[in-house]
Amino acid sequence: MMPRADMKTDTNITLPLSFIVYGLIALILSQFILFFSSSSLLSGQFRIPEIWMSAHFLLLGFALMVAMGAMYQLVPVAFLVQIWNEKFGFVQFFMTAFGILFLSAMLGIKPNFAVYGGILTVIGVFMFLLQMERTMKKVEKKSMMYYFVIASLSFLLLAILAGFLLVWNFAFGGIPNHEAILYTHMTFGVAGWFTLLIFGFSYKLVPMFSLSHGFSMKRAKPSLIIYIAGLSFLVASFWLPVSFLDILGWMLLWAGFGLFVLDIKEILQKRVKKKLDKPFIFSLIAIGSGFLIHTIALGFSLFAVHHRDIWSWLIFLYIMIWIIFSIIGYLYKIVPFLWWTHKYADRIGKEKVPTLKEMMNEKLSIYLFILFSVAIIGIIISFSVASGKLLFIFLGILAFTSLVYGMSIIKVLVQ
Amino acid sequence: MDIVEKVQEALYDVIDPELGINIVDLGLVYGVGADDEGNITITMTLTTPGCPMHDSIAAGVEHRVSQVEGVQDIHVDLVWEPAWNPSKMSDRAKEMLWG
Repeated sequence: MMPRADMKTDTNITLPLSFIVYGLIALILSQFILFFSSSSLLSGQFRIPEIWMSAHFLLLGFALMVAMGAMYQLVPVAFLVQIWNEKFGFVQFFMTAFGILFLSAMLGIKPNFAVYGGILTVIGVFMFLLQMERTMKKVEKKSMMYYFVIASLSFLLLAILAGFLLVWNFAFGGIPNHEAILYTHMTFGVAGWFTLLIFGFSYKLVPMFSLSHGFSMKRAKPSLIIYIAGLSFLVASFWLPVSFLDILGWMLLWAGFGLFVLDIKEILQKRVKKKLDKPFIFSLIAIGSGFLIHTIALGFSLFAVHHRDIWSWLIFLYIMIWIIFSIIGYLYKIVPFLWWTHKYADRIGKEKVPTLKEMMNEKLSIYLFILFSVAIIGIIISFSVASGKLLFIFLGILAFTSLVYGMSIIKVLVQ
Repeated sequence: MDIVEKVQEALYDVIDPELGINIVDLGLVYGVGADDEGNITITMTLTTPGCPMHDSIAAGVEHRVSQVEGVQDIHVDLVWEPAWNPSKMSDRAKEMLWG
């Protein structure tokens, strides 16, 4: 007998969209705050309240919230399970949204008060983790994507614990090794949670958007194991005075990422859809950029380049051209799908409905993706030649592009 | 034209919104059956398990087929085996994707 699959897995669209719209507003805010702090950036001052505020609006307000929203939509359809409790999801949204807003704003205005926003954010993330634990428990067929998602959620938990410890230390002190907590928080959050989540969903989304068949995914398991080992060694290097730990960590991270890249290459080679959508190509470029960043980081580590400014910029690039660009590309595909399902799903077969491609302005997306790339390259050049004027211009381009990008996504929702 | 042929014809109107190609040319429809009372069973698949269009396409098939004269109950049997592969596509669909 042929296995059947007629199980309803739709999520109430308001839930993922609430996260995504909040995320887009946070993206715009974060880039304008960065724009108005350009003079501090040029002098290599990343550790000022405004930059912390911008970084948290970007990573928590945009990236984390969008990732949560995307998971509320993708987990049910990818794993064929229903979200455990949608009402709980809405409570979680308001808790996390308010927590991030308060945390980020207070980091810029009154860092001592940020701990209270941190507490709300931690509660919100714990609620999300509980939601996902209850939902993922029902998954019957445990694919490699399942293990990537579980691993990324575990790192989210670790990142949020380390982050809370960090904010606690800001407010009340008591832990002498503040730097190590900060680096651990960043590694777990940025490289653990986001990277593994993007890996996992890419294994689903890349074959789907390219209509690929007959690929092996044989490197997925070693990629996951090696990447987690890399994260562990890198974090250990922050706490232990052993010189080779960071080199070993970056070697493993590079190898894990490389295996993922080889799998994606194979998937694309075996695709049926030859002409890929532009936003999706942007996400693929982000994968290449991510590998480039890992290669540079490994090189710096091997040649003992420990200059703080250089690593700060490398972290900036890791966040922007790998994580943020991946999300920006995928979002251009996910939002039209969400809105299409809401507005046209009941009309399919009854009347002519638009395709997903027709719901977004692909031509505009090309200009936006070029502008995003130009802005990042420009920011690096400005920093290299220490030009305040250039930095101001390119941060302005980045802020303007983020604004138009956010508006173009929201425009899909009024069609 | 009997009722099965009419249903098969109607299924050309159901478009996969991601690819912009109808589900028959994509090779997603495995079979259409009908009994004497006009109750229809459509056995079909999707290009990948866990396709986000899962519910929408199945509902679209039901909507479109319900408009066919003489159709009573409709049952969409969504199956994953045999798994879809590109060889199931029509030449027209291949041309659209490869062109």
